[in-house]
Amino acid sequence: MGPVIRFEKVTKSYPGPGRPALSQVSIDVEKGEFVFLVGTSGSGKSTALRLILREMRPTSGRLYVAGKEINRLATWKVPRLRRQIGTVFQDFRLLPSKTVNENVAFALQVIGKSQREISRLVPETLDLVGLADKGNRMPDELSGGEQQRVAIARAMVNRPMILIADEPTGNLDPATSLDIVGLLDRINGTGTTVLMATHDHGIVDSMRKRVIELEHGQVVRDEATGVYGFSG
Amino acid sequence: MQLSHLFTNLRQGLRRHASMHAAVVLTLFVSLSLAGLGALLVQQATLIRDDIGDELTVEVFLCVGGETRFPQCTGPVTDEQRSTIESAITANPEVESYRRITQAEQYDILRKLASPDVFEGPNPIITVENTPESLRITLKDADEYDGVVSAVSDLDGVRDIRLAKDLVDQVFRTIGALQYLAWGAAAVLLVAAVLLVGNTIRLAALARRKEIEIMRLVGASRIFIATPFLLEALFTGLLGAGLAVGALAAFTEFGIVRGLDPAIEAIPLIGWDEFTLSSIGVVIIGPALTILPTLLLTRKYLRL
Repeated sequence: MGPVIRFEKVTKSYPGPGRPALSQVSIDVEKGEFVFLVGTSGSGKSTALRLILREMRPTSGRLYVAGKEINRLATWKVPRLRRQIGTVFQDFRLLPSKTVNENVAFALQVIGKSQREISRLVPETLDLVGLADKGNRMPDELSGGEQQRVAIARAMVNRPMILIADEPTGNLDPATSLDIVGLLDRINGTGTTVLMATHDHGIVDSMRKRVIELEHGQVVRDEATGVYGFSG
Repeated sequence: MQLSHLFTNLRQGLRRHASMHAAVVLTLFVSLSLAGLGALLVQQATLIRDDIGDELTVEVFLCVGGETRFPQCTGPVTDEQRSTIESAITANPEVESYRRITQAEQYDILRKLASPDVFEGPNPIITVENTPESLRITLKDADEYDGVVSAVSDLDGVRDIRLAKDLVDQVFRTIGALQYLAWGAAAVLLVAAVLLVGNTIRLAALARRKEIEIMRLVGASRIFIATPFLLEALFTGLLGAGLAVGALAAFTEFGIVRGLDPAIEAIPLIGWDEFTLSSIGVVIIGPALTILPTLLLTRKYLRL
């Protein structure tokens, strides 16, 4: 099997003047890899993630995700692609009026899973993220780290092939951040490919995973076991 | 798709923007009632037109004999006389077409128009035999009738000639004005209803934007995301249409069947058949007016 994510000379330009958000980017991410995507604000990290989620199409070049060519993917097939990608954000994006259980179950309900599957998968996933005993809590009764765990549980409950995390530790203190990345690492250990965009030097340096650095929309570094800044 | 999830969403959606939904329902109710009323008036005009002809009609009544009012009629029109009259009509350039209305058909028309007692009893005033048959002519131009009238008026077998124009013009003018008034008001209100639907969707999409964003991210299908909005639209559309059908039924029952019917015998009046036809239109248009904008706007506001 080929890479689960493949950028082939991908360029993305937004309307208006200025340089493209991504320019001739080529990246391969293999199944089961853990990759940090680093770079300053405006370097093109978010554009890359949005392209993977098919929130938009590349201007040129080819992008393959989970074996599908994104450029050619019909709009009606996009939901099916997204079911293979779990997504976690800096701001958790939990539904405040639903309990932890309901928030995680929501991701299954809206793709038509049966109640029986939901009853099996939700507790199992909450156990995986270490929140087995907090299913009936409301999101505002949880700490930031716990809320992010719920968001990770929601992203993982459908057992996606890829987990995309966009600054997942941006709102968390350093100790909690390490916990969350440890959890992502454990998930990666089960075979899920993890792609994490981050600004957090400490985490990148401590994990010694593959690091891809973007600058002005171009890949300036791709190291198999890198740190946040240039290691050489 | 889980039904319980759908109904929970529908209930929540309707409750969340109850006042907006009420505005849509009420606007639809009034506008569809007016549109339905316009449709009833059109059907009323058609009924009258079928019965007495329109302004293009000239009706040549033929002799039945034994009527002192028409001394030129010495007896019933003969086949020979009739064909001479028909030839004169066919040859006239003002005539678009004509058709023969037999004594039996004329009798049926009269039965609708006149009081029942003239047809009853051992010696009724009006019978099939003493009802004149006619040749109903349709003109090419309503104002060009002199030629045909003078061509047939002196022929043997012609009893009298009537121009429908004089009678019909005023009736149609009144019905036409009422119909356009009803449809004009309905059109304005329907535009308002569609705009209200748009506003409601925008508000609902805003209120649920977090939920919708998550649904999109976890791979919910477009139809799944749009379904609660479509169900709300269907519900408000049907409710508005239902109320309008009720109003039209009340109008038919109290305004026509019980109100006008006994009083007016000269003009055939619309009844439940025409009500049914108008109601079908209202029940189709109402939900269509809420669902079509919803389909368009959910694409826009939900980025589906």
